[in-house]
Amino acid sequence: MVGSRMAAAPVREELEITLAQAGAEVVLDFSGISATQSFVDELIGVLVLRHGPDILSRIVFKGCSDDVRAIIEFVVADRCDQYIKSNTH
Amino acid sequence: MPISLPAYFSARSAKEAITACWEIASAEGVVDVDASDLKFVDPFGMALLAATFYKVNQHGGTVRVHCLNAQLSGYLRRMDLFQGVELVDCAPMQGQRQDRADALVEVTRLEQRRDVDTAAFRLTRALVGRMPAANRDLPSDGMSGYSEEDRLVEPIQYAFNELLENALTHARRVGYGNACVWVACQYYPTSDTVRLGVVDNGCGFLATLRGHPALRQETDLAAILAALQPRVSCNRDFGLLADSVNQGVGLTTTQRIATSAGGRLYIASGDAIHSSASYSHLADGVRWQGVAIALECKRKRLPEVRLRDLLPPLEPQPGVRLRFQ
Repeated sequence: MVGSRMAAAPVREELEITLAQAGAEVVLDFSGISATQSFVDELIGVLVLRHGPDILSRIVFKGCSDDVRAIIEFVVADRCDQYIKSNTH
Repeated sequence: MPISLPAYFSARSAKEAITACWEIASAEGVVDVDASDLKFVDPFGMALLAATFYKVNQHGGTVRVHCLNAQLSGYLRRMDLFQGVELVDCAPMQGQRQDRADALVEVTRLEQRRDVDTAAFRLTRALVGRMPAANRDLPSDGMSGYSEEDRLVEPIQYAFNELLENALTHARRVGYGNACVWVACQYYPTSDTVRLGVVDNGCGFLATLRGHPALRQETDLAAILAALQPRVSCNRDFGLLADSVNQGVGLTTTQRIATSAGGRLYIASGDAIHSSASYSHLADGVRWQGVAIALECKRKRLPEVRLRDLLPPLEPQPGVRLRFQ
């Protein structure tokens, strides 16, 4: 299980470097991995807060268990909602 | 005049335990503690005592524990509770320390966020141990990939990760940058109960949530209740604190893990103590500086816990489509 935000932060930084290249896509492979909501939020939620929901169209989530998928969907829904509200005048 | 420890130093007797800790921490110089009445200490109680003894030592004081019975003396020494503490008129430890990593874990103090994953893994392994019902020879489930042992391990490790992450993040705000967290855990086979304690000496809930819209009153109890609401956190907004952001879901989910597994969560912060069954206030002036959490649950019910069912309900954002393979 990957749980801490500190573990997620360097992965997200690498993700951001790759996605900064025009047209690049990233596959995040969660095969055999369980993760906490904190880890997923640091990895994906912070990405959404920084760059907006559109960034998600360039990410593929592979090999997710039902629990990990549910956590990803929750984090995304929450942070997209937050992003939209904070960017709507 | 020595400070007397109550008979039960546990989450279920949190009021008495925290009161004793407050008295010990408030004393100066040499602090004499009378343990002659002490019968039982659970992981929550151990973590409270460890944090309290640490505070006394940090302030240049010395704790002397008197008249601890032989059984408790050996057990608490194995749990590494008495670092920096003098034992007076207590029975000596019998025999060699045995590796009981599969049954109990010594009280552990964490200071670094980078240690959270390792600590959560180690603590969980200690708790799960060798459960007769967890057949490691059975193949994993073909659909989910989970083994029987995975089902046992995952909710506990998840709870540990979230509680430790919270403690080493939130506890260090508002002038408490050096806050630590103490953690202990144990499985009790007679009652098939898992108990763990996660205690920090940080700023407490009220300090982190002061000014938050979810805080209905400026009280410690109101702060605990607010913290238990989903999506309530002092730093949901990225940029408020450049080094971290939280969703405010970890504590909520941990409470749901406990109740789903037939147990409960106890939370103490400031002058308030809350559990799913009740809440209470400590006597005037008595308080726990920080947050102290105890989780109890039935080990046989852990495989029933489905983390995906414990997350707060949220509607997906229209127009946002996730790609899963």
